[in-house]
Amino acid sequence: MRKPALPCLLGLCLLTAAALPAFADRGDLLIKNGTILTVTKGVIAKGDVLVIGGIIKQIGENIAAPAGVRVVDAAGRFVLPGIIDSHTHIALAGTNEGSEAITPEADVGTVINADDTSILTALSGGVTMVHTMHGSANPIGGPNVVLKTKWGRPSEELVVREALPTLKFALGENVKQSGRTVQPGQTQRYPATRMGANAIIRREFQKARNYMEQWDRYNKAAAAKNPPKNLVPPRQDLRLEVLAELLRGNMVARCHSYQATETLEFMELAKEFGFKIACFEHIWEGYKIADELAAAKIGISVFADSWAYKMEAAEGIAYDAGYCAKRGVLVSINSDSGERIRRLFNDAAKTMKYGGLSEEEALKLITINPAIQLGVDRIVGSLEVGKQGDIAIFNEHPMSAYTRCDMTIIEGDVYFDRDLVLKEREEAAKKAAAPRGEGGVS
Amino acid sequence: MKHSRRVSSLLILSCITALALAAGPPAGDVGPTYAIRNCRIVPVAGPAVEKGTIIIRDGLIEALGPVDKVRVPDDAEVVEAEGLIAYPGLVSAFSNLFLEQPARPEGQTAPFEVEAQVQPAAGEDRFPPGPGLLVLDQLKPKKAALESFHKAGFTTVLVAPTRGIFQGQSVLLNLNGEPLGPMVLRNGAALHINFTTERGGYPSSLMGTIAHIRQSFIDAEYYAARQAQYAKGPAGLKRPEYDPRLEALVPFVRDRKPVVFQCNNLEDIKRALKIVGEFKLNALLAGANEAWRVADVLKKTPIPLLVSLDFRPPATSMYMTQGEELRKKAEAEIYPANAAALAKEGIAFALVSAANADGGAILRNVRTAIKAGLPKDVALRALTIQPARYLGLDRELGSLEPGKIANVVLVKGEIFDDNAQVAKAFVDGVLFKYAEVSK
Repeated sequence: MRKPALPCLLGLCLLTAAALPAFADRGDLLIKNGTILTVTKGVIAKGDVLVIGGIIKQIGENIAAPAGVRVVDAAGRFVLPGIIDSHTHIALAGTNEGSEAITPEADVGTVINADDTSILTALSGGVTMVHTMHGSANPIGGPNVVLKTKWGRPSEELVVREALPTLKFALGENVKQSGRTVQPGQTQRYPATRMGANAIIRREFQKARNYMEQWDRYNKAAAAKNPPKNLVPPRQDLRLEVLAELLRGNMVARCHSYQATETLEFMELAKEFGFKIACFEHIWEGYKIADELAAAKIGISVFADSWAYKMEAAEGIAYDAGYCAKRGVLVSINSDSGERIRRLFNDAAKTMKYGGLSEEEALKLITINPAIQLGVDRIVGSLEVGKQGDIAIFNEHPMSAYTRCDMTIIEGDVYFDRDLVLKEREEAAKKAAAPRGEGGVS
Repeated sequence: MKHSRRVSSLLILSCITALALAAGPPAGDVGPTYAIRNCRIVPVAGPAVEKGTIIIRDGLIEALGPVDKVRVPDDAEVVEAEGLIAYPGLVSAFSNLFLEQPARPEGQTAPFEVEAQVQPAAGEDRFPPGPGLLVLDQLKPKKAALESFHKAGFTTVLVAPTRGIFQGQSVLLNLNGEPLGPMVLRNGAALHINFTTERGGYPSSLMGTIAHIRQSFIDAEYYAARQAQYAKGPAGLKRPEYDPRLEALVPFVRDRKPVVFQCNNLEDIKRALKIVGEFKLNALLAGANEAWRVADVLKKTPIPLLVSLDFRPPATSMYMTQGEELRKKAEAEIYPANAAALAKEGIAFALVSAANADGGAILRNVRTAIKAGLPKDVALRALTIQPARYLGLDRELGSLEPGKIANVVLVKGEIFDDNAQVAKAFVDGVLFKYAEVSK
């Protein structure tokens, strides 16, 4: 399709930050002579990765470039799967529906903001996929969404439809807001305690069960041979419908949770109502219940540091991620931020010092592990033939303190190229410094 | 039969009396029949007439054509218009004219989410009356505002409410004077929805707002269905409870009365289209200054666009979040080029004055859009017949044709030229004089 002149104009404005992907590539790319960290299939010291039509077609040595395919020289560099952030809030127009405690109808998938420059920040750190989530102001927040960081593409093209549908829950201080000053004329929002949070979630699940029963009764009656006269259907309730989806097993829970006790209580709730928890978020005291988490096959998505940054994190320790990983819990390191997202590899590497993970194990925390948590390990999370060509190229081993991301590739298209960005920045600076009338900015 | 004929002739009689009373010429002017002579006529509905005559009688256009083809009636007051160009009165299908509360400028619409940590007390209404509100009840016509619009060529406006998510219902006015009643073309013209938040309550975020809009339409459909079921056979059925809010929504979700979504950025357009599709609404999108960014979508899903002539980027636009330089560029270059880009893609739209209250500024912005590549004839259609069509008024106005309402502006110079000056405006056949024309 013919492109109007305006997007180019717009592109120029944003190019100061990063290059738009070269779509002429059309998902075809050959990366040559890099150290290939496949994550799941070992390391190839000097190898190539061929992506055709967005899918990894071949991994090995001395792959010949098919005609017309762009070749990226990765000699002396490290090629790894695109980094996946299991918990962040970027690329959204709003994160919390804080007015009420229970808001599962408020779906972040309806407010994707593909213009958020945090997407660029993420790309500069090798991140190709994010689980962007409802905030933690509500005991039951809303559905989250998994996006690829395809900067410059329309919002609907960012959505990863293969991912598990997830629903955000939250416990603890963010939810009870006991520290918040209540303004005159306002009432303190219920719940104000941890037991209240548990109670209101249970109450809401009871409502959802009743709702499902009402519909079952109605559907049965309506399907009968002689449906009763004056049959009235129940009111469709968007709020309860999302909870019903969770109870039916069509969604999984992701629960913001700091302390061990409230976490165990939530696991009891899940058992009682029969829903699945995919992952606990942040979970500072995860190390206290590592065996319970591993036995229940519930993952955790945590910070690498910031332990004890607030009261309810007082018993957080640096060894949380590493220890839990060694006890068999599926661990990922998250950013929860549009800034930390660019250095998830540094955060993952901290588990080597605190927890004694190997390079390979540490790298898993930001690649295949979050992919499993999001239900997308079939398509991303490692470099394997048949998976999508989401790839990052680093100058040093990604777990080195001296590493940086040079190139970020999604489905074979280059979305971030450090050399290009630096060149553009230089040119922009030159232009800005030039005197007026000689191409300078007035 | 006889009876009904008498009733209808009585009705006509009373209409004529009403017209004579309401739309009577202001003091000093002579009579209700005018012959505008020797002007260039741009009827929009057909080719221009180089030297023509327009006959106005009783508020309607009786005839128009070349001077040698149109006879001037004996009772007509002749308006000598040599050197002037006659256009149909411009139509703004979205304005905030006469609104007592100054409209919140688009540049300052609510942010994505507000801090709101309160719950309404039990028994308190969870939502403001919104959908049932008629903006007509809030209007305070002012002569200066009226004249400002006339001088920019506008004779017809839709006045939209400005507050809340379900903002209320707009009114269509023909700007024929100051008393409100005779101006009304249609009350409750459309329901207006904005992707904003409620202050101090639910919903306090955009995602909450989207859920709230959807739930409201679901509830209105349910309400209508329950009412209909009860009306059909009340025996054995519990009477559905009256709900003024849902009652007000029913015509829009059931009977396809028009719904206008305020779209402040590209994502708002997609959000609106989703809701429109889900509830099969008869919808228009207002604002739409980032419509060029979704040209492919709009080509696939044609929908009436009310493109704003207010080029200040709204708070929720990406152009507000990336520095002052980009904001300025958006206002000066990017937004003004929107209409031209749409025209190039063959996407239909109307241009609207939006929150802009100053006629001069509105015309200036039309000129800016033209300088950015919008063809003049497309601009003229986008301010006449196109909005008339969108509002279902194209049988009675939007072009100069016999039988249509006499909304005519006489302009010295071409209407979108820098020095154009509206010399006279006829609205419902009422003459307003603005500038003496030197020959």
